[in-house]
Amino acid sequence: MTAPVPLAVRARDVLTSEWTKLRSVRSTYWTLLVAVATPIGISALVAVVLSHAPGKQTPVDPLLPGLISQEYAVLAVGVLGVLAFSTEYGTGLIRTTFAAVPRRRAVLAAKAAVIGALTLVAGEVVAFASFALVQAVLSGKHLGVSLSHPGVPGAVLAGGLLLFVVATMGVGLGSIVRHTAGGIAALVGLIFLPAILGVLPAPWGARIARFTLLDAARQVTALHPATDLFAPAASLLVMLAWPALTLLAAAFLITRRDA
Amino acid sequence: MIEVDQLVKRFGVVTAVDGLSFTVRPGHVTGFLGPNGAGKTTTMRVILGLDAPTSGTARVNEKSYAGLIRPLHQVGALLDASALHPGRTATAHLASIAQSNGIGRGRVAEMLRLTGLEAVANRRLKGFSLGMKQRLGIAVALLGDPPVLMFDEPVNGLDTEGIAWIRQFMRALAADGRTVLVSSHLMSEMAQTADRLIVIGRGRLIADTTTAQLLESSTRSDVLVRSPRAAELADLIKARGATVKPEEDGGLAVTGLDAPAIGDLAAEHGIAVHALIPRSPSLEEAYLDLTGESTDFRAATP
Repeated sequence: MTAPVPLAVRARDVLTSEWTKLRSVRSTYWTLLVAVATPIGISALVAVVLSHAPGKQTPVDPLLPGLISQEYAVLAVGVLGVLAFSTEYGTGLIRTTFAAVPRRRAVLAAKAAVIGALTLVAGEVVAFASFALVQAVLSGKHLGVSLSHPGVPGAVLAGGLLLFVVATMGVGLGSIVRHTAGGIAALVGLIFLPAILGVLPAPWGARIARFTLLDAARQVTALHPATDLFAPAASLLVMLAWPALTLLAAAFLITRRDA
Repeated sequence: MIEVDQLVKRFGVVTAVDGLSFTVRPGHVTGFLGPNGAGKTTTMRVILGLDAPTSGTARVNEKSYAGLIRPLHQVGALLDASALHPGRTATAHLASIAQSNGIGRGRVAEMLRLTGLEAVANRRLKGFSLGMKQRLGIAVALLGDPPVLMFDEPVNGLDTEGIAWIRQFMRALAADGRTVLVSSHLMSEMAQTADRLIVIGRGRLIADTTTAQLLESSTRSDVLVRSPRAAELADLIKARGATVKPEEDGGLAVTGLDAPAIGDLAAEHGIAVHALIPRSPSLEEAYLDLTGESTDFRAATP
């Protein structure tokens, strides 16, 4: 008999395996490139527009353009997350994966961890790059804020979580739906459909909006948070609850269905 | 060793496996035979812990698969050779699976060499032929050097050379003392590879036997007799209680009396015999006799 293998070693094995899978397909590089280049490009565009704007015309909040630009990367990282499981279910490779690692929740955790780590880094790079671009223009007009301003580093950092949140939600949805197109549709539905309800008349619009992912993300990033939504700390919890609940549902279902 | 005990698997109203029990022992290639849709793949998925049984158990080396740590060291399986990410290279594919069970790079390279895939190791899998994918699937199954191996229809779509390679490979693995279970819907294929057979139909066990026994048990063996005085000889044989069926070319197909007895009988009466040929059915025929009742979908005879 072979000696028992410590849990930490087994966890490292599964993480290494999923990391190899992630970096050995082109879709990872494409989706990440889109996820990083698009928001930085949009921030550059916003900076150009702002620099030509007459006089004291400014964005509502100096930190929001950076976050809004990230929203354009949401779909790309969402696809990256969904693909982690949906391609394995689509090809049948999932059976090889689960035969090699019968503890399916370990596979779910490892996929969420490697994609989460990658998109966390990407999101923070985008958040700080966008911040730098927009503030460079705004500070020329004496309207910007610097990183040393109280609350600013935390807000930018929190805004950078958006891509991580969406990608790990995608991992969970890919595992639940098992189909690329279906998984992406579910992700788009969960992120954008509740936001539509935000246009309902007061007070219902805000009562719903404060639970939506994108409004929560704006709250945690804004220098001047909206008063009718949750406070930034609570909004951060709302933001993290979305992937947490999705992954919990995925963990519940993954051992109960045939592969 | 693989032990399947009273296994039942239902998908909604369809019963894919219906109270199946068998044991696969080391040292042999065991053929797992049945018509398409008989439940072979489902049974293999249950053994690998991929499908949960409705009732009953499947155990590998006396353990349930779900409880295995680093299972690739215990069981190697090839279920579907096309189950690959087309954009990954052969090396990355093998390495990702190896890493999940703590198997090193050296073993990955060794398996690529063993299956003759070294030259294409860094090519993307979308360019691989079915034969190359089958080889890669076998490389995956052998990564952990496991004592138990399962192959689901491994020769499907292979050319003659590939089939010969796989056959020889499976026999070598069994000769090594490993447990080898190979499914197929083609009897002729199993006749050349397997020495033990588990035959199923509609999810039930039809036969658990050796290839030789299956042939003997068939009711189709007879003796072909040719004689210039065939009619006379036929009457003598019938008088001994055997059955005679005249063939179109004048020969007699005799069942119920063996060749030496027929020869002796003819000699007693001074009847010349020009041919005395014991005929056994092909394995294919023996298999059809067994499974004829249990095929889900049959083509009508024109």
